[in-house]
Amino acid sequence: LTRSLVPSAPAALRALPPPVAVGVLHTTRPLHTTQQSLAPLPPLPEKGGEVRHGLIPEEFFQFLYPKTGVTGPYMLGTGLLLYFLSKEIYVINHETVAAACILTVIIYGIKKFGADVAAFADKLNEEKMAAAVAMKNEAIQTLQTAIEEEKKEQWRVEGRSFLFDAKRNNIAMLLETNYRERLLMVYNEVKKRLDYQVAMQNLRRQKEQEHMIQWVEKNVVQSITPQQQKESIAKCILDLKALSKSAHAAV
Amino acid sequence: MNLNFFDQFSSPSLLGIPLILIAMVFPALLLPSPGNRWINSRLSTLQLWFINLITKQLMIPLDKKGHKWALILTSLMMFLLLTNLLGLLPYTFTPTTQLSMNLALAFPLWLATLLTGLRNQPSVSLGHLLPEGTPTLLIPALILIETTSLLIRPLALGVRLTANLTAGHLLIQLISTATTTLMTTMPVVSLLTLAVLLLLTILEVAVAMIQAYVFVLLLSLYLQENI
Repeated sequence: LTRSLVPSAPAALRALPPPVAVGVLHTTRPLHTTQQSLAPLPPLPEKGGEVRHGLIPEEFFQFLYPKTGVTGPYMLGTGLLLYFLSKEIYVINHETVAAACILTVIIYGIKKFGADVAAFADKLNEEKMAAAVAMKNEAIQTLQTAIEEEKKEQWRVEGRSFLFDAKRNNIAMLLETNYRERLLMVYNEVKKRLDYQVAMQNLRRQKEQEHMIQWVEKNVVQSITPQQQKESIAKCILDLKALSKSAHAAV
Repeated sequence: MNLNFFDQFSSPSLLGIPLILIAMVFPALLLPSPGNRWINSRLSTLQLWFINLITKQLMIPLDKKGHKWALILTSLMMFLLLTNLLGLLPYTFTPTTQLSMNLALAFPLWLATLLTGLRNQPSVSLGHLLPEGTPTLLIPALILIETTSLLIRPLALGVRLTANLTAGHLLIQLISTATTTLMTTMPVVSLLTLAVLLLLTILEVAVAMIQAYVFVLLLSLYLQENI
């Protein structure tokens, strides 16, 4: 691992008394005011080094170009190969055939799956970045929404006089209603008592009347003597006869 | 240089200096080290993704105590994978064809799992020697069989890896020799043999990866039993 170690804290921090030295953060520089030594890293180059035939860097071809032109490196390669073969510095044996096979397999694999693997690696990195960017955007969005809400609240504050008026009206209405209800209640109670008195008087009058009528009737009935009764009955009969005569005459 | 079939399996040495250590350490040099950056190069990203994948796969069946083995199992897997695959290149020496090295890897690790099991949960560990539901009469025989199978595990691990790789390399050598010899006399048959060799090479690539995986997987299984 090539991660560099954090340099050790200066002696001044370590020289503090032990209880303090344990709790103090041992830094080598004032934090948040100086630049961190490990950042910012120079960015990775956009593309890797140019390579021809997957193996030989382009710089080699450029290096030989001034002296031997375009075909130079190829001539060099062919010449070297033929030299090794003809002088039997490299002997053709069974390993050559095995080498040809494994190289075929490797090159086929790279040609077929190389782009996909590279895209996959790029996708992994992209996902990592996208997650962080999404977080950042979300935070920005949240803050902007908060700003909008704050502005709306400030606008709302301007209408507070209307709010207070409405509230005041509400309260006045409530008080008025309550007062009127109580007024009505008082009126009803008083009326009930007065009605009671009136009813009492009426009852007394009625009872007196009845009593008097009864007393009068009783006395009258008592005062009718048997002689008076006979006289009145005889008179009634005479009246009836007279009437009947007049009635006969009318018919 | 004229090669016979044994040269590829002999431990390499240069002027009497054994090079086996360099051969074993070399694959690690090919892996990029994780950089200081947040977004790394493609190779670093892929390596990180791959190692995460392996570690997750190995550690999911294990409980918390087994996670102590994450580093050694993952690094063992990477080592075996790289050595096996690099050995397929021509004129390379594959350290894992040496029985000594494979036994040296298998034996201590297997013993570690066994001792962990015997120390922490001896009855459960010994209980694995008798599968559930065996008829009573068979118990003694089964215990003997299971003990034998337990004790032969490190040998099996080591020999499996050695045999697979050695056999593969030897087959490649033999068939390519046949191709070379037939090229002068019967070219068409030589071409057929070449086709066989191509298929065999693809198989060998697969075998190299599978053998590494099987080695580490079996070790993790032994660990699961004993943790």
